[in-house]
Amino acid sequence: MSHIPTSQPRSGLEKRVLIPGRTIGLLIAAALLFAVIAAYSDTFLKPYTLFVVSRQVAQFVLVALAQAVCLVVGGMNLSVGAIGSLTTVALGLCLDNWGLPAWQAVPVALAVGAACGLINGLLIIKVKINSFIVTLSTMFIFMGLRSGISGGNPYAVPDSFTIVGQGKIFGVPYFFLIMLVVLVVVAYMYRNTVFGRRMLATGGNEDAARLSGIRTDRMILGANVLSGLFAALAAVLYASELGSAAPETGDSWLIVSFAVAIIGGTGLNGGVISALGILMGGIIYTLIRHGLIEIKANPYYMNVYLGLLILLAIAIDRGREVYAQRKRQTPDTAAEPTELHSD
Amino acid sequence: MLELRHISKSFPGVRALDDVSVAFVPGEIHALVGENGAGKSTLMKIICGIYQADAGEVFLDGRRIHSRDYRQSLSMGIDIVHQEIQIVRENTVAESIMLDKLITYGPTGIINWRAVNERARQYMEMVGLDVPPTALMKGLSAAQKRLTQIARALAANARVILLDEPTSTLTKHEAQTLFSILNDLKKTGVVLVFVSHKFEEVFAVCDRVSVLRDGRHVGTRPTGELGRHELIRMMIGRECKEDHLGRLHFNRDREVLRVEGLTCHGKIEDASFTLREGEILGLYGLVGAGRTEMARVLIGEDRMDSGRVIVRGELARIRSISDSLYRCRIGYLTENRKEEGLLLKDTVRANLTITVWPRMVNKFTRWISQRQEDRTAHEMVESLEIRTPGLAQIVENLSGGNQQKVSLAKWLAADCDVLIIDEPTVGVDVGAKEQIHRLIHRLAERDRRSIILISSDMPEIVRLANRILIFRDRRIVGEVDDVDNPARTYDEISMAIGEYLQ
Repeated sequence: MSHIPTSQPRSGLEKRVLIPGRTIGLLIAAALLFAVIAAYSDTFLKPYTLFVVSRQVAQFVLVALAQAVCLVVGGMNLSVGAIGSLTTVALGLCLDNWGLPAWQAVPVALAVGAACGLINGLLIIKVKINSFIVTLSTMFIFMGLRSGISGGNPYAVPDSFTIVGQGKIFGVPYFFLIMLVVLVVVAYMYRNTVFGRRMLATGGNEDAARLSGIRTDRMILGANVLSGLFAALAAVLYASELGSAAPETGDSWLIVSFAVAIIGGTGLNGGVISALGILMGGIIYTLIRHGLIEIKANPYYMNVYLGLLILLAIAIDRGREVYAQRKRQTPDTAAEPTELHSD
Repeated sequence: MLELRHISKSFPGVRALDDVSVAFVPGEIHALVGENGAGKSTLMKIICGIYQADAGEVFLDGRRIHSRDYRQSLSMGIDIVHQEIQIVRENTVAESIMLDKLITYGPTGIINWRAVNERARQYMEMVGLDVPPTALMKGLSAAQKRLTQIARALAANARVILLDEPTSTLTKHEAQTLFSILNDLKKTGVVLVFVSHKFEEVFAVCDRVSVLRDGRHVGTRPTGELGRHELIRMMIGRECKEDHLGRLHFNRDREVLRVEGLTCHGKIEDASFTLREGEILGLYGLVGAGRTEMARVLIGEDRMDSGRVIVRGELARIRSISDSLYRCRIGYLTENRKEEGLLLKDTVRANLTITVWPRMVNKFTRWISQRQEDRTAHEMVESLEIRTPGLAQIVENLSGGNQQKVSLAKWLAADCDVLIIDEPTVGVDVGAKEQIHRLIHRLAERDRRSIILISSDMPEIVRLANRILIFRDRRIVGEVDDVDNPARTYDEISMAIGEYLQ
């Protein structure tokens, strides 16, 4: 048995990629879209338009994060919007009915969101039902509670509560800044913390992760709590933006959450997420919606375009995967004999 | 007559079949035997069109056939009865048998159940299946399901029926019934190919036996002219004592692990054994005999019904792999590296360090030290001679042997005292296999780890272990000690193991 010399790993390949190629593509797409709309429209570059658009981006990104953290562990959360609704109602009850100050009402609302996520997570790991069924059911439950408690009527919020949602600093909405902070924390977490990487591993291959000593059930639980928390945060900020706690908040979030997460490169089979990608996804999604309004497209057909956009994003992703696989297969099989001894 | 001529088939890294030529004669039950990985399944799959041979030809009744897929083989009269019973639980027996030729009222598409049941009954009689045709599949015993599958093959007009370990889920009595039916069936001129691990069945039922070893055809003999010892020799007959790895100097006084009465009903019953420092304990037996099952209970993947596990003198409560790894330092290297062992789409680095991330965390920032991670991964790549262009390489792109080393390495990185290694060289080429063997030996001899080696590969287990436990029917039925004694020959040891299995 001859000794096989150890291959010295080349240092060039050791580098961890900071921004994957796919995200760069998204950056370019977002920039192009921005430039096209700016050139086409006279009002787009006005501070007020940018303010409104960036606030919308912030909301969509938070909603998408709520979906993405579940997708990462190989699940999904159909109840993101429902959690947002229920959170809004909880917020309204605190502020309007019970007259609590905002610094007490907001934590309560966030806790309600996290609790909803916890319920989802517990059902998934303890009863061992898949996340699709669990969150489909809880979506109805949360929606029903929302309607039952609120009777469909919006709650009034004090003026002081709207500072965060309507205020800005150097023209940038606080809403947007808060979203950026959350995004940075998420990016940090997934990049290289134990919790983040274990969630990624769980989504990458749950059995292998568990057999490597990871408590995958806790990872799934954690992801669902985070998901509830992000949905709640989006709902609270949206109420602050709106100046009222409207129970119908979140009714349109389900599609948005998937669309932005998918466009942003979140793997549907788990294990892949890019915070920057989701930000770009949020920007692209918002700009396309905005652009369709600018060119006065029939608003009744709006969802057709957005649906096509999602399909396009998936198709591009799939295309890249197939391409990468093909590229990999040919040289690798040729490289095989270097290791194979005569058999 | 079914004739195979010069069949070869390779998978990436493995030559599964190498120039195999066999003829199967009608009116005979022809056994196909060999160790796990010898190429039996591959050969069966080529015959029934699931795989395509790289080279060679298949002749059926003198005519060359070329089957693209299973459907096509079926239409040519070749059918396979798989090892696992594949049925639609809610179907009736008649429906299962006649599934692809349900009788309809003319062109209406409406099924004539009366005719279907009547026709199915004919085939059921042929195989001695004594239930109403309208019985539901889910109510049948394992043996009756087996018979349904055979009836289905007959209904498809199969002239060649491949039986892949048909008795593995049957009781002895049920197996006897099956055999007498097969005996009747062979008189009708059907070619019956019978894959089995059980020698007693081969000798009792089969007329002729072909032996495969390492993808090659060793020989075909009438069973009447063959002794059991001779058959074993044909199956495993390579000389493997020539490069003896040397005796293990394990520590007889230091017991690392003691298992008492470990039971998980339906998986393992009342298993007791001890493991000492620097020892390699082999677990030998057939797939499903309880080896892997016991390991999974031991590490907390499956719930223990009763029994005690004592790790380094202390009673251990292991309820998850996380407990087993971080509290007891027991690692489990799965037999299923692609499905359960590796994050295939992730980097070599992540797969090597997944078990040790908590150790590399900065207390304040919670950030995993990238320097430490790279260093650990580097060490593993070097000491295990993993061939990879870099730590950022995606594991899926590595060869089988190197993938196996990666999944072994993560347990070494975690500094486990006890390593349970399940089928370490399945799907690994000869060169890498040798490396892995030396590595396992070194781990015990030099690094003083204790190893439980699960393997169906007799030469492998005899070569590495110093003691072997034999599993049968979910129990430990025997123990062969002093295996690493250079004075004992391979034949002597393998015969000793074989005795417990009969």
